[in-house]
This record gives sequence, C-alpha cells and structure tokens, in this order.
Amino acid sequence: MSTDTIEILRRTEAPIHPAPESFVRKYIFSIDHKVIGVQYFIVSGLMILLSGLFAEAIRVQLTAPHNTFLTPQQFDEAFTFHGTLMVWFGAIPMVTGAFGNFVMPLQIGARDVAFPWLNMFSFWTFPPAVLILLSSLAFGAPNSGWTEYPPVSLQAGVGIVFWTTAVFTVGIGATLTALNFLTTVIKMRAPGMTFTRMPLFVWASAVTAVLSLVATTALASALGSLFLSHVFNVPFYDPSRGGTVVLFQHMFWFYSHPAVYILIIPVFGIVSEIIPTFARKPIFGYKLIAFSTVSIALLSFMVWAHHMFTSGLGPWVTLPFMILSMLIAVPTGIKIFSWTATLFGSNLRLTTAMLFVLGFLSTFTIGGITGIMLASVPVDWHEHATYFLVAHIHYVLFGGTLMGVIGGVYYWWPKVTGRLMSESLGKWHFWLTFIFFNATFLPMHFVGLLGMPRRVAYYDPAFQGLNLFISISAFLLAGSFLLLFVNAFWSLKKGAAAGPNPWGARTLEWMIPSPPPYYNFKETPEVYATPYGYGEPLPYSAPYNSVSTTPTY
Amino acid sequence: MAAISAILIVLIAIWPINNTLAVAATSDYGIDALFKFMLYFAAPIFVFVNGYVLYFARRYKHRRDEPADAVGIPLYGVVPLEIWWTVLPALLMVVLGIWSAVTLFGLYKPQAGALNVEAIGHQWKFELRYPGLKSSFYGDFYLPIDRPVTMNITSADVVHSFWVPQFRVKLDMVPGMVQQLHFTPTQIGNYPLVCTEFCGIGHGDMRTTVHVVSQADYDKWFSGEQQQVAAASASAGALNLAAGVVSKGQAIFEQKCAVCHNMAGFAQKKVGPGLQNIFSDPAHPKLVDGSAPTPEDVAGIIEKGYSGDIGVMPNAQANGLSSSDVANLVAYLKSQSK
Amino acid sequence: MTVHTEALGHEHGHGHGIMTQEEYIEQRDTRFLGFLLFLFTDSIFFTAYIFAALYLRSAAPVWPPVGVERPDVNLGAVNAILLFGSGITAHYAMHRLKESRIAGYIWFTIATIILGSLFLGGQAYEYAHIHATWSGSSFGAAFFTLTGLHGFHVFVGVIYLIVTLLQSLGGTYTPERHFGLTAATLYWHFVDVIWVVLFFLFYIY
Repeated sequence: MSTDTIEILRRTEAPIHPAPESFVRKYIFSIDHKVIGVQYFIVSGLMILLSGLFAEAIRVQLTAPHNTFLTPQQFDEAFTFHGTLMVWFGAIPMVTGAFGNFVMPLQIGARDVAFPWLNMFSFWTFPPAVLILLSSLAFGAPNSGWTEYPPVSLQAGVGIVFWTTAVFTVGIGATLTALNFLTTVIKMRAPGMTFTRMPLFVWASAVTAVLSLVATTALASALGSLFLSHVFNVPFYDPSRGGTVVLFQHMFWFYSHPAVYILIIPVFGIVSEIIPTFARKPIFGYKLIAFSTVSIALLSFMVWAHHMFTSGLGPWVTLPFMILSMLIAVPTGIKIFSWTATLFGSNLRLTTAMLFVLGFLSTFTIGGITGIMLASVPVDWHEHATYFLVAHIHYVLFGGTLMGVIGGVYYWWPKVTGRLMSESLGKWHFWLTFIFFNATFLPMHFVGLLGMPRRVAYYDPAFQGLNLFISISAFLLAGSFLLLFVNAFWSLKKGAAAGPNPWGARTLEWMIPSPPPYYNFKETPEVYATPYGYGEPLPYSAPYNSVSTTPTY
Repeated sequence: MAAISAILIVLIAIWPINNTLAVAATSDYGIDALFKFMLYFAAPIFVFVNGYVLYFARRYKHRRDEPADAVGIPLYGVVPLEIWWTVLPALLMVVLGIWSAVTLFGLYKPQAGALNVEAIGHQWKFELRYPGLKSSFYGDFYLPIDRPVTMNITSADVVHSFWVPQFRVKLDMVPGMVQQLHFTPTQIGNYPLVCTEFCGIGHGDMRTTVHVVSQADYDKWFSGEQQQVAAASASAGALNLAAGVVSKGQAIFEQKCAVCHNMAGFAQKKVGPGLQNIFSDPAHPKLVDGSAPTPEDVAGIIEKGYSGDIGVMPNAQANGLSSSDVANLVAYLKSQSK
Repeated sequence: MTVHTEALGHEHGHGHGIMTQEEYIEQRDTRFLGFLLFLFTDSIFFTAYIFAALYLRSAAPVWPPVGVERPDVNLGAVNAILLFGSGITAHYAMHRLKESRIAGYIWFTIATIILGSLFLGGQAYEYAHIHATWSGSSFGAAFFTLTGLHGFHVFVGVIYLIVTLLQSLGGTYTPERHFGLTAATLYWHFVDVIWVVLFFLFYIY
C-alpha cells in the first residue's frame, strides 16, 4: 500500500471519537460495538436461561398424564413464554446482537459498525421489550404459543397486547441492527477484503441482515394486524365480517420461516470459523459454502406455507411449497458435507469449542433429515403439530443454534475477556450436554409419531413412560449448564491470560490484543487473501501480520 | 460405514410400522411407505456424516509429538466431489417430491359411495353430524369398516385439528371453511381422535374415540341413535308455515343457524351465505329454480338440506329441527326481509 | 489530491486504480445506503398489508362486500394529483439547492409542504364521508389500515420537510453537503409511489 493511501486512511479514520470516561457512557449507553455486543450477550443469555426455566416447568408438568403442578392456564403461558423468549429475546439477539456486534466489525477490520448511535438505540429497544413482555405476567399473560394464531389468541384478552407490543419493540431493534450490519459489511470492509475474502461469519451476518430486513417488517405487519384486531376490533381474522384466519398464518410464517434461518445462518458462520481454526487447514469449498448460504436465504422466502400444510390450502398450493422446502436440503447438505470434508487431512485440536461444533454436525444432521420428512405433505399430515415437530425444531434450534452458540462462546470468550476458560470443565460440559440433549429430544420423535399432540397440559396415560424419561433427561440437561456458569466465573477470576491469539486462528479479530482496544485497529489493515490459508504467512499488512499463529492454550 | 448403513436399511425395511402404531385406514399405506423411503436415505446420511466425523477425529487428531503449530493439508476443495454432493441430493429430492406429490393428490381424491360425516370443532369437544340422524351429538362416534368415509370438517370458534393417529391423516378445523378428509377404515378397533392445533385451556383434554365396527354393529348403533332422537322429538307435527312464530324462529336461528350463517347480506358469509333479504335481495342467487325463492322453497331447503356450488348444508334431521322449528325459522327469515 | 491506490481501486472493482480522496470518503459514506435500506424495509410494511388486502379480496365473493361502498374515485384522483404535484415541487426544490438558488429552493419546498398538507386534509375529508368502517368489513379493515399507515407516513414527511426547511434557513445545507435534504426528498417520492398503488387498489381495481 502506498504511503499516500495510508495517509488518506489516517486522515479519514483518525481517532473518530475518544474513549468515553464516565461509567454510564462506557458501560450503559455505550456506542462501542464491542460493549453493545456484550450487553446483548448478557441480556439474551438471561432470556435463554429464563426460557429454559419455563421449559423445565413444562417438563415437570408432563411427568404425569394429569399432573396438577400447573393449571392448564399456567401451562399454556409457560410454553408461550418459552417459545417467545427463546426465539425473539434469546436466540435471535444472541446470534445477531451479541456475536454479530462483537465479531463482525472486527473480522472486516473496521473500527465500529456504520451507525454506532443507531446501534446503541437498537440495543436499548431490547430491555424495555423484555420488561413489557414480562410485565404481562401480572396483567394477564399471552397463552397461545409463540405463534399466537387467531382466533384463539384474541380470546386471551390483554395478554396479546403486551405480546405484540413487546415483540414489535424488539423487532424494531432487530431491523435496525440488520440495516446497520448490511451497510457495515458493504461499506466498511478493510481495503483488499473482497467479498470472496470475507470470513464466512461475515457472509453469514450479511445474509442474515438481508433476511431480517425483509422479514422482520413483515412480522411487524402481522403483529400490527393482531394488535388492531384486539384493540379496535378490526375484522382481519373474523370470518363473520369477511376476514379469514388463514391470512394470519401466511403473514406470520412469511416472517417466521426466514426467522429460523436468521437463527441458524449466523451459527453456520460460527461453525465455519471454528472448524478451520481447529482443523488447522482451509475450509473445504469456501465459495460453495458462501453460495449455499445465499441460496438458503433466497429459498427461505419461498417456503413459508410448509407450516400450513394442514390449514386447507389445497393440493395445488401446497405442491410448490413442498418441492421448494425439499430443495433447501441441497444447500444445507452442501454445508454439512463441506464441514465434514474439512476434517479430512487436518491437524485436529479437540478443544471444547470444536467438540461442540462436532456435536452440532451430528445433531443438526438429524434435525435436517426430520425437516425433509416434515416437508413431504403426506407425511406432514401425520406428523404436523405433534411431538415429532417439537423434536425436529429442538434438533435444529438446540442441536443446531444453541450447540453452535455455545461453541462460539468457548471460542470467542478469550477474545472478549482476555482470559481462557477451563478446557477440562468444558469437555465435561460438552459430553453431559450432548448426551442429555439426545436423551431429551430423541424420544420426542417417538411420542409424536405414536400420537401425542404438542402444547397439551394433559395427555394419554399410554405415553407416561416416555414422557417421564424425557423429563428426567431434561432436568439433567439443564443441570449440565451449571458447568458452563462455573467455568465462566472461574475464568473471570482465575483464568490464564489468553494473549491475542490463543487458538492460532487467522481472522482479523485475533490479530489485535484481547480484549480489543477501544479503537480496534490503530491503522486500518489491508487484506491480501482469504483468511483460511493455514501454513502460509498471514495475509495482512503490518503490523497485523506479526501475531503468532501457534496455538497457546 | 456402508455395512452399517446396509444393516440399518434392512432393519427399516423389515420393521413393521403396524406393530408400533396400528394402521387402521387405507389412506395410510402411501404415507408409511413414504416415511420408510425417507428413513432409507436418512440412515446412510446419518451413518456417513457421524462415521466420518468420528473417524477423522481419531485419525487426524493432533499428536503430542507433532510441533504445536502443525497444520493440516492445504486442501481448498475438490470440485468434482462438490458437484456430486450437490447433484445427488437434488436428484433424491426430485424423486421424493414426485412420490410425495402423487401420494398427496391421492389423499385429496374422494371415493365413490362415501359416507359423508360432518365434524365440527368446539372449545373443547368434537360435534358430529350424520346423514339421517336428526340431531348432532358430541363425543364418541362409530364408523363402519371398509366403507369409504368423507369427513367434512370445520370449526365453530377457533382453529382445531382433526387427527386419528391410526388413520395417519390430519387436517385443521378452520372456522369459516370446510375441508374434506377421505379415508376408509380397515381395522376394527377403538382409536383416539385428538385435536393437535392449540385451541385454548381445554386443548389437552380435547380427545374422543372413534369406534371402527362391523357394518352390523354400525347399523345397530345408528338405529339406536335414531330412536333416541325420535323419542326426543316425538311431539313434532306436520309442516305448517302459517303457524310460524318470529320470536321462536329467531331463538332457533341464533342457537343453530348462526353457527354458519349471518343475518346480513348474502356476501357476509360465515360458512354459508348471509340470509338477510333472502326473499328479495337480487344479489342472492336463485337457489331453487331460477326465480326468487318462495317461503315454501326456503322451507324445503331447510328440510332437505342443500348441496351445490355455494356449499353444503345438512338437512333438518341432521340439524335437529322439527317441522314447527322450520315454520318458525321461515317466519323469522320473512321478518328479516325487506 | 489524486493518489495511486492499486490495492484500493483494484480490489473494490473500480479497475482504474486511481481514487481521489473525495471518492474514497464518498465510498465510505454509509448514510445514503443506510437510508435506502430503511426505505426498503419500510416498503415491506406496505407490501405485507397490500398482500393482506388482496388475500381478503380473493376470499370474498363480492368486492367490496355488500353494504360497503368504494370511496369516491374523484376525491382519490384529486388527492393523487395533489401528491404528485408535491413530488414535482420537491424534485425542483432539490435542483434549485444544487444550483445554489436558495430562494427558489425555499419557495418550492413551501409549495411541497402545502400540497402535502392539502393531501392530508383530503384524506381526513375522505374518512369523514366514506360509507365503510374500520371494524365493519374486510374492505374497511384493509382500506383504513393501509391508507392510515400511508397518511401517517405523509404526516411524518410533512414534519420532516418543515424541519429541513428550518434547518436550511439556519444554513445547515449547502449545494455540496445536503444529505438530510436528499433523504427527505427520497422519502417524499417513496410516499408518492405508495399512493399510486393504494389508489389503484382501493379506488379502481
């Protein structure tokens, strides 16, 4: 790079703003993407925990066919809060708000996202939304599941007003974050970082942002119509005044199908970062992985009605949705096969992060296969809205999203805190979680196929044995997460200093100290090649090519 | 890994689904075969992905005697391999798609001579209407073996779902809309009918039993039901339209007809059309013979039921209406017409 | 200042290998792209409800339903002309500013604001006289939700234009630097285009 260019970069990007001094500006109303990422991590982490507690309450209720632990009303609220908290308040802010905010700008060599103030605003829509949702517990909680199909959801009274307002509010933040991220990826990449040199997590973040920009606003419309139906008695969903209830399902799933890809695509990105780092070789088929991410995103807008195969669309409408849904298996398969192939000829380090990713490969494959089964309309007629569906979604969202997220936590924890976590505790955590995850959700396939519908507070006594087994496994699964908390606190107190690059990784975030300084990169780095060229010199301009890539954990 | 996959496939092939969850209707065989077909290709995918992950994890694990900064081979991709694992799954999905489509259209095909039963979801019970029975009833119901059945399903309040696991088929009961399920029970037995679409606090208990019985047992049950109903409405007399009372008609309308009809213009439909101005509204189609309907025509439709391009309405027996009820209804409808 | 930046020019696909400092700064200017993305996501809001309106229409045997009358097409047309006129004046206001003819800019902007306000008045008159209610029928549900959402956008647009006008009186915008104004004009055109669709959907189709 010529000295003139460096001069330009210095002049256009010289200290944008000095690091804030006051506690409030530093930790609360911070505009630093790293602090906002950690804020998202803490709040969405708490939401995942809370959601998990609701799930455990569900499992306690289901230990007996006619348990009196919860009333049906409380049970309905429990699964509604479980789903709502997990989807909008836990997993989506975790994969976009937390991981996207912290990692993505570092990986493209930027000092911050494109709109730091907007970023702060996005985050601060989140805690109020949580408060609105949780306060509904005092005034009459929503109780028709996270899907809130009318007309039954409109019978729930004021709960639906809290629910729509809360999800709408958190949706504003999600949309603005997406807008911010997409602009950042398009405009703020370091010089020389072409699209085909971007780390795969950046690809994933950008594609997720596109999904979120299109879909979240559609969700806002669906929520708006539900809100208006309740508050102003607008007859969108009242057949006696010309409305039609299936309309809501269309509007809702036009968002919520892409939403499951908003949940999983960043995790594909996380997995694509962790695998080459610990396999210590280039990711297999970089371009095809990036391409498959884009094609999954495109297809995800054309398959929403596969959630409605029993809603009376008729054979000619369901047919194209069925074929397109099956086609999603192709790009998803490409990813699974490419990740597995990356392990071939590797020099594999089985760290905790890597174990979680290998666990992800195993469980997500099952979730993908059951997804194909549900995509076939005739089979869906048997399996829809049963525990088979519950098992499928948990293999995708727990075995997929959450496994990848935990892997990502173990992977980037040293970068965020500057300290290493305990590997031996981490491995115990992995094995317990992996075993009890499968013990919890695998049997759900069978109870579903045998005839147990989902969202039932009481069930046929014939299923008691399996349900008891599932519940006990679920308690143990929850218990296994204690090891993660112990590990985190231990690391913060006593963990060894991590150094800039403990794993010997090659993406840009590892080229700067841990935790990164306020300005991230003193000078904007220049990028000469893809980051995954293990065994070759680092493809960055000085001083960013002088970090050691020897693992030191 | 190929051997393990082959063993799994054989096990799947000889596994009788019937023993795990009984099959009790013809519509099921296509669905079970499809399900097995998917297990056939799921098994090798699962075995190979997990097998290679485990194998590579052992084979290429970093050894202590290697230098700390050892790296793997610089392999960025193998294009032919990538083409294979794009094209093969795509072909597989096309086969699966065609097979599913054929099965799907079969599920929608009505059968000749089918017994037409109506099932209406309520919070939180199933209402059944049989042709030839004067009134509907809730709960347990009977179907004769080996006779095709068409279930006309809808809902009176929120979305419910109609699922008999042993019949394999399920469709939602959607308010404002009638869907048809076609199947033929083939095994005598008692099977659960469950609601799978969340419908409120009683959802978990919204279950009843379908009794699939021999034709003789079915006839016995059916005549029993008929006698019960006949006894209940023994006071019914001959139709006398002049004796209709508007207020009584209104009460019956709100109790029974309002489930499907609005007292509003023709277009304001619920399940059936709105019934205001039925005798004079030009927007109202000529239901009977091309001219504006007379009170006698309307009474005839209520008594005999209707089946045509705007929908299906059960007859007075199925609706549990006596002759005097019909007269009262016609009087009420007249009072609501300009 | 012109500098040779092989890496920059080449890698970003410009091909000429030379980039002025202004070009580099412009390339890094994120605001325009961000605003376009905002308009895009906002358009999805309308798209979803337009889809809902078409869906409700397809489910109805007659449209609008019996007992509901379409709004007066003449009034809608007058409103459309008002809004298009305001789009034209907004366009010329922008031009005048770029040509440094400040007085022309101010008068055109005031015209835009007045036309926009007249549109809102027309909408209010429409609401007062239409034979349909929000809660009465599916047509009313779609009509009031969509035109209400659009009217709200026009209202925000009028406020936005007033703010930019006051700002420019204070000298915020120059012929070279006027992003806030560009955004306001773009937003105003966006609102215009939406009305074309709504006019067709409720008054004609």
